[in-house]
Order: sequence, then C-alpha cells, then structure tokens
Amino acid sequence: MLQRGIVFVLVALVLNFPVLTTLINSFRKRIDIQNSPLGFFAFDPTLEHYRKVFEHSTFHFQDYLINSLILGAGGTLLALLVGFPAAYAIVRFGHGRHTMLTVLSCVRALPLIVFAVPIYLLFQIAGLLDTRFGLALMACLINLPLVVFVLAAHFQELPSEIDEAARVFGAGTLRIVVHIMIPLSQSALIAVGILSFINAWNEYLFGVFLTSKSAIPISVGATFFATNLGVDWGVASAVLMMSVLPPMCLGLVSYRYIGRSLTTGAVKG
Amino acid sequence: MSELTLQNIGKSFGEHVILKDINLHSQRGEFIVFVGPSGCGKSTLLRLICGLETVTHGQIHIAGKDVTHMAPAQRQLAMVFQSYALFPHLSVRDNMGYGLRCAHFDEHVIGHKVDQIASMLQMTHLLHRKPKDLSGGQRQRVAIGRAMAVEPSLFLFDEPLSNLDAGLRHTMRFEIAKLHRELGKTTVYVTHDQIEAMGLADRIVVLNQGRIEQMGSPMALYQSPANVFVASFLGSPNINLLQGGWQPNGAHGQLILKDGSQWHTPLINTSGTATLGIRSEGLRICNLGQGLFDARVILVERLGSHAHVYLDGPGHHRWVARSEVHEAPSLGDVVGATVHPKDMLWFDDQQNLCSTGQ
Repeated sequence: MLQRGIVFVLVALVLNFPVLTTLINSFRKRIDIQNSPLGFFAFDPTLEHYRKVFEHSTFHFQDYLINSLILGAGGTLLALLVGFPAAYAIVRFGHGRHTMLTVLSCVRALPLIVFAVPIYLLFQIAGLLDTRFGLALMACLINLPLVVFVLAAHFQELPSEIDEAARVFGAGTLRIVVHIMIPLSQSALIAVGILSFINAWNEYLFGVFLTSKSAIPISVGATFFATNLGVDWGVASAVLMMSVLPPMCLGLVSYRYIGRSLTTGAVKG
Repeated sequence: MSELTLQNIGKSFGEHVILKDINLHSQRGEFIVFVGPSGCGKSTLLRLICGLETVTHGQIHIAGKDVTHMAPAQRQLAMVFQSYALFPHLSVRDNMGYGLRCAHFDEHVIGHKVDQIASMLQMTHLLHRKPKDLSGGQRQRVAIGRAMAVEPSLFLFDEPLSNLDAGLRHTMRFEIAKLHRELGKTTVYVTHDQIEAMGLADRIVVLNQGRIEQMGSPMALYQSPANVFVASFLGSPNINLLQGGWQPNGAHGQLILKDGSQWHTPLINTSGTATLGIRSEGLRICNLGQGLFDARVILVERLGSHAHVYLDGPGHHRWVARSEVHEAPSLGDVVGATVHPKDMLWFDDQQNLCSTGQ
C-alpha cells in the first residue's frame, strides 16, 4: 500500500512537473528565477508578479480573461445548440447516417492549420475578424465533431421506444427533444460541454490568426511576455496560473461525468 | 361498425417482404391476439396499426376513419410497449399523465384522471416514485395506466409480459383480462406465447412468414387447426405428428410408415402423403398390445396436476402422451398407446387440414 502510494506521488509529480514549476515560479522573485531556474525548494515567496499582471499598462489581463470566457462559453453553447439536434437527427431519423459522422471525423482529423487561411479570408469578408462572436463561432466549429460524436453515441444507447411512446401519446419532435431527450442527456451534455469549454479556452491557433486587439484570448495574451528582450518568467507564470484556473476547476468538478459519458455503451447492461 | 379494419396490408423494407395481404375486421370490444414465431411480422403489423411504421400498400381504418397516413397521436389509440418505455426522469404520476398533458388538458383534470386510474390499478401509493424504484410488474401497471389515461378507442400491447417472470406473467395476464372486461375496449395484443394467446383472446390471428395462417376463436384453432403449422404452434406440449405415404383402401385409407407398418385411416382428400396429428391429451396409455401401437417410455414429466409421458414408438418416432400423475408409467416400461378417432387430425400432402375425427 505504501509502495503504491509512493508510485502514485512520483507519477503525479512527473506528469504535473510543468504545472508545478509554473506555479512555483509565479511566487519566486525575478532575481531568484534568473539565478537558479531549478531552485524550487528554498525561496522567499512574493506576490509581485501577480500585482504586475494587473498593473501592467499594455497587458490587459481582465480583457483577455473576459474574451476567453466569452469564447469558451459562447463556443460551447453554440456547439451544443447545433450539435444536439444534429446528433438526434442522425441517430433517430437517419439523416446523413452514412456520411455525416464520416465527414465529421475526417474533417476533425485534419490539422487545423489547413483551415487557417480560408477561415481568415471568410471572416474578413464577413467582418468577423477580431470579434468575440467570430472567435466563439470558430470554437463552435472546432468542437462540433466532438459534440456530435459523443451525443450520437449517447442517443444510440437511449431506447428508441421512449421516443416512440412519446410520439404515440401525442408529443411532436420538438417536445420530445426538449421535455425528454434534454433531461435524459444531462450527463452527456455536462461532459461534452465541459470538454468543449476546455478546448475553446485552450484554443491558440485561431486566437492568433483571427484577433489583433479587441478579442485576444488569454491563451494568446499569455505569450506577450516573451519579447526580443527576453521572457519575464515570473509574470508569465502568474498569467498562466490565473488563466488555467477556470478550466482546471471545471475539470476537477466534472471528471466523473466525462468518464461516465465517454464509456457509455462500452458494456451492455 | 368494425373498430379496426386492415385491408390488403403489405409491408416491405426494400425488396424484403415482411407482411403480405393482411386482412382483418374486428368487432368493438374484441380482444385480438397476434401470435406467431419470432420474425413472423406480428410486431411489425402492430407498429403499422400504431403508425410507427408506414404501410407499403393497403389501408387501416380505426373507428370508421381511414388512419393509414395519420400520425400515431391522431389514431385514437394507446400502446403498451414490451420494455414499458416509461420516461425515466418523470414520476409515476407524470408518466401516467403524459398523454393528457400533450393534449393540453387542465392540470386539475389530469390530476383527477391519474388519481382515478391509480386507484383502479392499486398504485396510489406509488405515484411519487420514479420508474427505477419500481418492480417489473409495477412498471407494467404504470405503462397500462398511461395508456388508459388517454381513453383510446384501441389498445395495443406489444409482448407486454415477456420481460416478467412466470409467476408475475400469470398475475398480470389476469389483470389485463380483468381490465379488458371492465373497460370493454378493442384490444390488439401481440405475443409469441401461445398460452397467453389461448388464455386472453376472443380471437387469435396466427401469423407465419408475414401471412395469416388462420384466425378464429382459441378453441376453434385448437380443435380444427387449418394446417400443420397452426397445429404445431398452439398447444403445449407440441402436437404429435406422424407423416407417411397414404393410399386409399376401399372405404378407408392406409398410412404407410417408414418402417413399413400400416395404419388404418379414414378416407381423406390427399394424394401421396398424409400427416396424422394427435394432441398429447388425446394419446392415452393403455395395456400392451391393446392400443394403436406399443412403445417404450423414455421420459416422464410429473407436473403436479398431470404427467407428460414421452414414448419411443414405431420407427423411433417420439410421442408425448398425457396421463394422470398416479397412473403414469415408469421410465423404461413398454406400454400401449391408444387414441380415439375423434382426437385424430389428418393433414393432406400440402399440410392443410383435410379431416378431423369430429
């Protein structure tokens, strides 16, 4: 038992080493970081980097954070609004059953950089460059395959007789979706919603391509401390730690839902 | 006026024909049972009546109205599913009131109706529970209550008892029969269990490979099955069947078995071959040499009220006879087996009934 505990601690330390070093550096003085980059165990803690984040004249941390929150929440909501009925239609009515899921998986398998230039041009024409809505829309597109796949698997597990019974007793499709399918899909919706939020929050590529000033998310903003004069590791670490807090908290709260939803259907019963 | 009419109903999935030329006229309040082996199309036929599938050709009329192309909710019917299909997130009360809520009834009307039905089904104390907190029989009652609440013209049951254990199945069969007597609604019931069919039906429709083999009252089908399939399907244990060559012999006939033995038969309308059918209750154990044939006892099933005696007869053909428990022979005994001519069913070379002993 003790041996197992030691192994767990060692593995946890190895896996979380980047996060732990960032956390510790965010509380170390700049001079300590420069003089001993790996001196994690003996240092005078300081909050100066956290203060600098909010006092910086050109780094608008609050704006980047709000942009990321809108990107994450908006992108997730849009993906669920589109993906939920799409998955239901694919599974229950067979619309695009043989093509849609295949196309979605192929598109999602491509590296996103392939879409960077055409998306940029489209957004430019549509006036969506450097807008929060445009970024949320991009997050929706990125997350849509995941949402559709997870929810389609979930609907396949739900007996179709429930829909049929509702239909026999007078419910139309909209009523079935709103009053029956959504309540029965709470776990799946929470799981896929949280995964989508985390994906959207961490989105960097399109954050760089599609924003310039007003809609910069925190994933891009955190890199502004890497300049040609060097990297302010302390402030960068503080920014990174504050920016990972929302998705980390969500993940801790919801990991049970995610595990349960992703293994739905693995075992008949 | 017929409550349910099916005219030339056919259903195909692509080139695969599931049902062909189904015709049926039911009377109001009749309890009709569709019975047949798995894959015969009985559940598909029920789903066509319900509107969950569309017909390939033909018409369906319910209460005088052509409902062939109507949605299920417009057909004035209610269905009880094999798996109950209760809504897991709703309470028993909300499940039972679901149809009325979809029809936009007032909440106090829904509440009153649900209370009334719950009282009839002895479920008042369960109204606040969720389906997952109920036993199989209780869930079945909720499904029936949900169907009753909408006061349909037609009740449909799709193998509602197949998920229950034997004892509960017997109890629920009684409850369904009792409800039918009290409500007097036309009911279409699908089952693969011929005992359920015999026990519940005013009329049985035997389906096989998408066709109606025979329809009629349970006893009419039992005593005068139209063909070997119906004779084999109804009755437990299965009817004893013996096939052989047949030839006329004056005013009678002769059934020639594989081992060369010949049995005396009435004159029947067949050529070449004939099949003799004898139900287990018609085959009686008697003294050696005094019956139709002699046979060795290979198995005795003592079932409490009676016994089934399995015999290895002429040509190693297996027979089943019914006996009183206290009169049943022992394993290995060699006994005689006799049958009254009135208990013989004769089938022609096309396996259709051509003579009974009646």
